[in-house]
Amino acid sequence: MRALVIDDSRAMRRIVGTILKDFGFEVREAGDGQQALDVLQEGKAESWVPDLCCIDWNMPVMDGLQFVMAVRANPEFRQVTLMMVTTESETGQIVKALAAGAHEYLIKPFTADALRDKLALLGLLPEGVSA
Amino acid sequence: MTLSQTQPITELLDAATVQSICDEVWPSLVGDGEAFVPVPVPPPAELVSAWVDIIGPWTGSVVVTCAPATAEALTESVLMTRPPTVVDDEDVADALGELANVLGGNVKSVLPGESRLGLPQIGPAPARGRLDDVRALVGQWRGNYLTITVQGTAPHPSGTEVPQ
Repeated sequence: MRALVIDDSRAMRRIVGTILKDFGFEVREAGDGQQALDVLQEGKAESWVPDLCCIDWNMPVMDGLQFVMAVRANPEFRQVTLMMVTTESETGQIVKALAAGAHEYLIKPFTADALRDKLALLGLLPEGVSA
Repeated sequence: MTLSQTQPITELLDAATVQSICDEVWPSLVGDGEAFVPVPVPPPAELVSAWVDIIGPWTGSVVVTCAPATAEALTESVLMTRPPTVVDDEDVADALGELANVLGGNVKSVLPGESRLGLPQIGPAPARGRLDDVRALVGQWRGNYLTITVQGTAPHPSGTEVPQ
């Protein structure tokens, strides 16, 4: 399994990335939505397409919602699962993200167990990791 | 609506709610078994702050303030670094900023109406606004001084509304 962690906070990228690596994911990182689009485009050349993107909402340059819309507008990345990982916890924001094409929504702060539960819901837990 | 007509944060948010947010944030972000304890200790001589702005029906900032050494220790805890790995200034700004961001996002979620969250900033704490528009929790982390302040935007120096 492959994951792209998108957050302007290096600390949060490290936290999410470490949990995903513990679950067996190969992880790449991006600091904003535009960088993440670049990682996706560059990854295509080496056939590296993530199974999962974990996406912060509030980021400079291109925010998480804009990234979700950009990915959903590109049929090449139709199979990528998009999960918001954000402090934005109001119902209106969650509905907006899901309507834009996000598959799941995880609110910060979260535990490793909460992230594992979301991965299980999405069918993205690698073999050998208990749900 | 002018700033003076908006409800102050003291009418929108009580200390128990801020503490409950801290009780959720500390173990998941700072580390297992970690806690913000609302028991004041004397403030250090030098302070550093990280904050995020909330812009909406209530406008202001959520500010985390502590000594630089405490900020460094918090960063080591957030990043789970162990000696000989050392954290640099950028790590500290990033980790303290993310702590303010997560606290700010959770504070925003309990305020009425639709609001927007700014990006984290670090430096000397922003100026406070109305005296009654401040909800401050003074406490400690691992015995070190730390405060969480939810404060309204300072009025414009002209004494009128902040220009839009």
